[in-house]
Amino acid sequence: MILLPSKYRFVPLIFMLIAGFGAFTPLIDEPGLQQTFAVAFLFGGLALTYDLLLGFTGLLSFGHALFYAAGAYGAAFAMARWDWGIIPAGIFALFFAFLVALFTGTAALRVKGIAFAMVTLAFAEAGHVIVTLNLWGLSEGDKTLQLNFDSVPDFFLGVANTRNLYLLALITLAIIYLAVWWLTQSSVGRVWQALRENEERVSVLGLRPFSFKLIAFVLAGVMAAFVGVVAVVVTNNANPVMASTQTTISLLLMVILGGIATRWGAVIGGLIYVVLSQRLTTLDTQGALAGLPEWIGGPMSEPAFILGVIFILVVMFSPGGIAGALYRLRLKIASFK
Amino acid sequence: MEIFITLFITGVGLGALYFLVASGLSLIYGLMGVLNFAHGAFLTAGAYAAWYFTTEVRADGSLTSYAISLVLSGLVGAIFAVATEQLLIKHLYDRHIDQALVTVGLGLVAVSAYLGWFGSDPLIALPPTQLYDVVQIGDAFVGIDRFLYITVAGLVLLANFLMLRYTRIGLVIRAGVENRAMVTALGIDVRKAFTFVFFIGGFAAGLGGALATTYASGVGPTLGDAFLIYAFITVVIGGMGSIPGTAIAAVIVGTTQVLVNYYVQGLGDFVVVLLLAVVLLTRPQGLLGKVAH
Repeated sequence: MILLPSKYRFVPLIFMLIAGFGAFTPLIDEPGLQQTFAVAFLFGGLALTYDLLLGFTGLLSFGHALFYAAGAYGAAFAMARWDWGIIPAGIFALFFAFLVALFTGTAALRVKGIAFAMVTLAFAEAGHVIVTLNLWGLSEGDKTLQLNFDSVPDFFLGVANTRNLYLLALITLAIIYLAVWWLTQSSVGRVWQALRENEERVSVLGLRPFSFKLIAFVLAGVMAAFVGVVAVVVTNNANPVMASTQTTISLLLMVILGGIATRWGAVIGGLIYVVLSQRLTTLDTQGALAGLPEWIGGPMSEPAFILGVIFILVVMFSPGGIAGALYRLRLKIASFK
Repeated sequence: MEIFITLFITGVGLGALYFLVASGLSLIYGLMGVLNFAHGAFLTAGAYAAWYFTTEVRADGSLTSYAISLVLSGLVGAIFAVATEQLLIKHLYDRHIDQALVTVGLGLVAVSAYLGWFGSDPLIALPPTQLYDVVQIGDAFVGIDRFLYITVAGLVLLANFLMLRYTRIGLVIRAGVENRAMVTALGIDVRKAFTFVFFIGGFAAGLGGALATTYASGVGPTLGDAFLIYAFITVVIGGMGSIPGTAIAAVIVGTTQVLVNYYVQGLGDFVVVLLLAVVLLTRPQGLLGKVAH
């Protein structure tokens, strides 16, 4: 596992500060761009919560989208149906996600490996079905559950205030980053990493693996729900895609792309994934693919095609993703000195 | 009661389609430990091949053309699967997580390639009209196509059984599912069996694609993914690496889904995923799976 040497630990936070000031410069002035980055920051944070499970605890879950959606729908529901303000609605959503994570985690963690992945997939799929079929009138089905505009302060509403959303998303990312940092450095975090390496040894030492895994699962779930609550404010709705397995798989892609168990790698992976998938769509409309024959130009206009190819190449030729590649580069430079 | 019979046979028919996808997944996982997320892409490739053949090459709507399209789609699925194994998975042996990740990436690439080539709208296939006839069982009327799915899946099950039981490569596969390290230690090249398992798995998935096109009256880019998730559920419920277990689970999943969807509107998918959770939590190795060693 490749961790930054301690003198570089603050670099990601400095970049976040620069990104915050960047919103006040002409560079990131356009609301469309600010919105893209806001979503990218949120996915960076979400990918980080997923990495807490996958990278730091060694739990391959296919159900992480469930908690993101629980946060988003919990908050959007409380605001739309009960006219709650954003703060109580957000707290309600976090508590709801906590209960969901506690229940599903207690059940799923009774099994390991692929079986664990499949049980989490099943729970998430159940959540997805509840949302898309609008069971018990909890959602709006295929349609999105809109944000109740009376529930949020005015400075988060309207195109003119996109910069505030950008900053909100950035602060959310910073909070998640600091929380994950603190958690992975704590004594509990060390047990997680020991569990990833060798579960038997941990239990021989007298610690119950189940409890520690459950703590990781619930904390990652609640943090994902927090990102979900903010996502409702930033994107103005909660939608069924949030609950889909596709969302979890894209988180997996982000973490692998950026570099597993490195914290900043997951964030970078999330940023690159979102920015690329939004900007690659414009590649086609700008006519950059005009000269290509249809059989290659068609797929090239789909962002997922290029992202998928990059992902396959990274897995095959650059284990450890971007963080791993940088690490090997540093080793090479060091050996020249 | 009539409705129950109709629904039950439809459910078994759907289960037959799940089985075609799941049998390959189960063998690949049992032998190689690879969770193949690209299996849905094999199915979709077969489905597009069948659509192309029956609408562009031989659009006469005859049963002969349909039968040829079934074989053709099976071959397309098999070639796609073998190419995947040779070009991607082969280079990552003993890196199980990476193998699964590569298939995730391939699934993504394939779906967006289909999207770029064929568009997002489902393409309408026109199977022979004879398949839309109904037969009467008691008081119930059942579509003939259901029996086609069940027959084809039954033949694939039989072929799998005979191959595993009576051929040398089948013996290697069975031994490999049991204990791969031991087979390798005895000097048998398991890698050939890997390629072979991908071939038959891809063939069954491609075949399933052609039939799924008939079942869903068309083919879209995500046809395979829709089947893949329930095929995964089928494999896990049945027990990884067990073909009989997969067959039993396929019937359970298909009938449960169709029956519950009818009687408690829309809840079928929900019940099936909960069924998976319950089976895994009470019997982690699945119905007929071996306890992991």
